Amino acid sequence: MQPLANITPLKPAGAIEVRNVGQIFEMKTQTVVALEDVSLDIKPGRFVVLVGPSGCGKSTLLMMMAGLREQTSGTITISGVPIPKPDPNRVGVVFQEASLFPWLTAEENVEFPLALRGVPKSDRRAKAQDALKLVGLDGFGKRHPHELSGGMKQRVSIARGLVQDPPVLLMDEPFAALDEQTRMTMGDELLRIWAATGKTVVFVTHSLTEAVYLADEVIVMSPRPGRIVDHLQVTLPRPRTYEMLSGDAFGVLRDRIWRHIRKSA
Amino acid sequence: MSAATVRRLIVIVLIALWEILPRAGVIPTLFLPSLSSTLIAGWNEAGEYGHALAVTLYEVAISMVFACGGGILLGAIVGSLPRPRVLIMPMVSSLYAVPLVILYPVFTVWLGIGTESKIAFASIYGFLPTMLATAAGIQTIDPQLLLAARSMGATLSQRLIRVIIPAAIPTVLSGLRVGGALVIVGVVVSEMLISSAGIGYLISRYRTILDSPHVFAGVLLVLAMAIAFNAAIKWIERKAAIWQTGSRAGQRAADEITAGAVQPAT
Repeated sequence: MQPLANITPLKPAGAIEVRNVGQIFEMKTQTVVALEDVSLDIKPGRFVVLVGPSGCGKSTLLMMMAGLREQTSGTITISGVPIPKPDPNRVGVVFQEASLFPWLTAEENVEFPLALRGVPKSDRRAKAQDALKLVGLDGFGKRHPHELSGGMKQRVSIARGLVQDPPVLLMDEPFAALDEQTRMTMGDELLRIWAATGKTVVFVTHSLTEAVYLADEVIVMSPRPGRIVDHLQVTLPRPRTYEMLSGDAFGVLRDRIWRHIRKSA
Repeated sequence: MSAATVRRLIVIVLIALWEILPRAGVIPTLFLPSLSSTLIAGWNEAGEYGHALAVTLYEVAISMVFACGGGILLGAIVGSLPRPRVLIMPMVSSLYAVPLVILYPVFTVWLGIGTESKIAFASIYGFLPTMLATAAGIQTIDPQLLLAARSMGATLSQRLIRVIIPAAIPTVLSGLRVGGALVIVGVVVSEMLISSAGIGYLISRYRTILDSPHVFAGVLLVLAMAIAFNAAIKWIERKAAIWQTGSRAGQRAADEITAGAVQPAT
């Protein structure tokens, strides 16, 4: 019998399709609608940012795309195939806290997902080296996380997400814990990595500036119940530069997002 | 002067005082015999002390296996499952405050005055802190690490072996440090109470005949045992948990980078 995974998906690699997704939490005293009828199409290679106030379900939606959480209703497909559980070959995930294993070196952290699948040591090392080089950490592989700065830790985390070369990279407020300067630098670095690899990136953030600066498309969400209230195309040219931040086009987009958020908060 | 130098100096001064004060007659030798007479007393009865040490070490070793093995195993189960945690933890915590030595006479009734009663007592004595520390260690694992492992496709057993166990090692080791020390205390104390062999027994016997040099020779042996155990734990901690040395090293890395010592990368 043909295993399911060998059936060629109808959608190209890296496409994300969210159809009428809902999430309901049953609590003791009340029922919370975390997401209501969310639908979304993300084309391969796009950089999509989810913004919205706390409790709008943007992180929940991201966790569903990662196969880490099950929706109450609706379907989510990655590259045309549903994702009932995590699949690092299709989706890499980067969390807010770098969540590196402190007892492993940077290199071993990047190798971790490969080690789980029993990839031979030498292959693992080579792939980890490539990934670390891609994120600009060549030569830092032997360090433990506590010997790395916050930005470097997130670089390792991105390398770990990319090491199996998945078409999709999901990022849950990855730079939220970093200081402003590091955050700007990391944003540029992420855009460079994205341009070099052509991944589909879905990026969750609280920062409107970060959203507009990074994105091809910004999805604005509102809470109670969590749903999509706007879907903006950011047509600013690439590469994005620091000067654009003070430009009119940038301001118009940021204001539009802010108006939605102010209304719902 | 560095703290380490001062520490060494204090030890040297104490040792010197131990020799000088009794010799000068400041302290009666019945209370504190001089270090040299203690060492000579121990040396003259080396065979007897050697045999006693062997008995005590044997009891300590077996009790360690029970206390630490059992403590880690049960601590891991209790720490990872919420229901037993709620049921058992309050009981264990309050049991920890009871002076368990009151049970020892009962153990001698059940198991005799040989090694078995010492092992039983010391095992239980060392078991509680080990179990409590292990349970706490498992409970306090950063859930982000487990989530990250899951996102990379780790199965339940992979998460246990590759995440939970290494993440719990530092807390478990600190439990072992306390538990192991209590095992030594438990064995020696029970030997001193009701027994027929071991260092505790020797100390207690020589005390009844007021032979202070021999008493202190036994005390020195117990001291050496405790110090050796502590050194062993420290060595394991260094081997197993280099990563524990938290954020200060991270800060150092950041400083190094801003100082331009290494190639810049944010």
